[in-house]
Amino acid sequence: MTFRIIVANLSVRLKSFYRERSAMFFTFAFPVILVLVFGTIFTKPEHLNFDLPVQDNSRSEASARLLEALATGDAFTITPVPVAVDATQYAKEHRLNLLLVIPKDFQALQRQRVVGPNAGVPVPLKYVYDPSSTAVDTKIRLLDTIVAAANQKATGSPPAIKLVAVSILPERYRFIEFFVPGIIAMAIMTSCLSNALNMNAELRQKGILRKLATTPITRADWLASSIVYQLILSVISTAAILLVSLFVFDVRLHIGIWLPLILVVEVIAFVGIGMLLTPFAKEAESASAVANAFLFPMMFLSGTFFPVEMMPGFLQAFAKLLPLYYINEALRAAMIFADDAATLRSFGVTAAFAAVVFVAGTFRTRWDEGT
Amino acid sequence: MSNSEPAIVVDKLCKHYGALRAVDDISFTVKSGEVFAFLGPNGAGKSTTAEVIETIRVPTSGTVTVLGMDVRKHKAEVVRRIGVLPQNFSSFDRITVRETLQYYARVFGSRADIDALMDLTDLRDKSAARFNTLSGGLKQRLGIAVALISDPEIIFLDEPTTGLDPHARRQVWEVLKGLKGRGKTVFLTTHYMEEAELLADTVAIISNGRIVAIDSPSRLTEGDAEHMRLTLKSIDAAAVELIRNLGFCPIPNGDDNICVPVKTPDDVRRILEEIQRRGLELGGLDVRKPNLEEVFLKLTAEPTSAGAEDRAA
Repeated sequence: MTFRIIVANLSVRLKSFYRERSAMFFTFAFPVILVLVFGTIFTKPEHLNFDLPVQDNSRSEASARLLEALATGDAFTITPVPVAVDATQYAKEHRLNLLLVIPKDFQALQRQRVVGPNAGVPVPLKYVYDPSSTAVDTKIRLLDTIVAAANQKATGSPPAIKLVAVSILPERYRFIEFFVPGIIAMAIMTSCLSNALNMNAELRQKGILRKLATTPITRADWLASSIVYQLILSVISTAAILLVSLFVFDVRLHIGIWLPLILVVEVIAFVGIGMLLTPFAKEAESASAVANAFLFPMMFLSGTFFPVEMMPGFLQAFAKLLPLYYINEALRAAMIFADDAATLRSFGVTAAFAAVVFVAGTFRTRWDEGT
Repeated sequence: MSNSEPAIVVDKLCKHYGALRAVDDISFTVKSGEVFAFLGPNGAGKSTTAEVIETIRVPTSGTVTVLGMDVRKHKAEVVRRIGVLPQNFSSFDRITVRETLQYYARVFGSRADIDALMDLTDLRDKSAARFNTLSGGLKQRLGIAVALISDPEIIFLDEPTTGLDPHARRQVWEVLKGLKGRGKTVFLTTHYMEEAELLADTVAIISNGRIVAIDSPSRLTEGDAEHMRLTLKSIDAAAVELIRNLGFCPIPNGDDNICVPVKTPDDVRRILEEIQRRGLELGGLDVRKPNLEEVFLKLTAEPTSAGAEDRAA
């Protein structure tokens, strides 16, 4: 490995990168835009509030109590629905995803439940809903909770079990704190993999590799140049993401020795994967396709945008085979939870993966016999 | 030409791709200081041979020695002492001419005078132009400058003027003639006869992966002397019979012209004396030696048009 050659390669690569505006945009601006967009969508509402259309056919003391219970806690804003109309039809016409129907004999049934021949029979409370709506599940769950609380209250005895919440984080944990480390990992992965593949395809297609093969540049020089180049881009990109998150969303994460260590290992891992994929991406067009085929599943299944726990079991098992999962875990453990032991576990897996992929990639890479 | 050790020795070189014999048992020697032209049609094996000598490709069998070193054993050392202009030279799009030369100078650890190289290749005005803005001729000239960056002992030029317009081609030739004047060994592959005739001391003609002729351009054309042609212009029709009686095969060649294949200058003298003795009219004459192109076409003529496929089968 020759320092002089690595510096020469770096200088040419950085100049080329700086002079190619679209590459600059996708490497630095794109992840920042993602932070801004997702941060705005998921961070703004401090508490949820939904409209709840209610058809009160009972208009009784009992229904008024229920409505009052629904309205407290700011979860729902009750909007009345005319009594005369068919609830299902009304929901369809007005594109409502949830409509609560209080039956006409609501109060009478409640009384009968306590005394009389129907004692112990629950009072039916119907809701009409649109299962195709994505927001409706949350609303139904809220409704369930409030009705359960009302039920409990109706028994007159204190609750048997009470949940007590204890946060493991010193500060308030928002979505954006979860999201930023994921975006850092994704930005580095994307930059390493697509740059490595596109650069290689371009050099090969144009015959520049054939020229380079007749110079004293060795494979080690070339790989070292790639890694240092990607590290420089990664540091700039990470700094941009962290600064924007700090100033726009007041995201304060732990930045210690782990962050640079994880960056280095991630760069080595994805430059290694890039080398392994190079034989499948000989032209610029196939390079993007191959890069995307790898990037997208990794991005969505490794917990970049949402926690892996939200996925079905078999996908969770699959996620644990993906290197980006461990990088996400390591970054979050280090940056959010400041948990050295957890960071070390995920970091260890990532480092082992990086070592294997890099060594394998080194053996696969050759630029002589440029066919 | 110097008498020192040969610059390149190729011995029984073969390079096969599966069943295709791209280079099929060829041997030749390039003397130090000469311009050696490797001439052949597309797909004849020129570039493959060049790339084996340049250390880019590994031969199937045979040995290649460059400056006394086996290319397979001393790749790193060979690479430092040769300069290569690959076929269709290309470089980093957004890097300027000067930066490109600086890059390769650093890579070779060379202290080359970049301004002097730009002067030699007539690129001074383009020093700040990015590679993707250069014309084909300028790109090739930059490629030649890059090939010279380490002051190599041998320069490989793989089809340096393919795809260039005649003007750009002539400009590249001017640069190459300048190299010849500096005593460098030049290994030139080309499919242009004019280029080989103009620049080369030795021409090897390769066809279907084999060398079919190797000599100086003048000897190659002399060796084919029976193809010398005497053209007689505005001559009496009676002369046809007269020349036939002398033992030649005159061919009417439009208007009043006839064309006579001859072997020696003495044949020409005999024909002209006979015409003079009979007092026949002669409007003019022309004696032409075959050029390298005719030699080349004759030597590389395919027995069938599907020769390459036959070899692959």
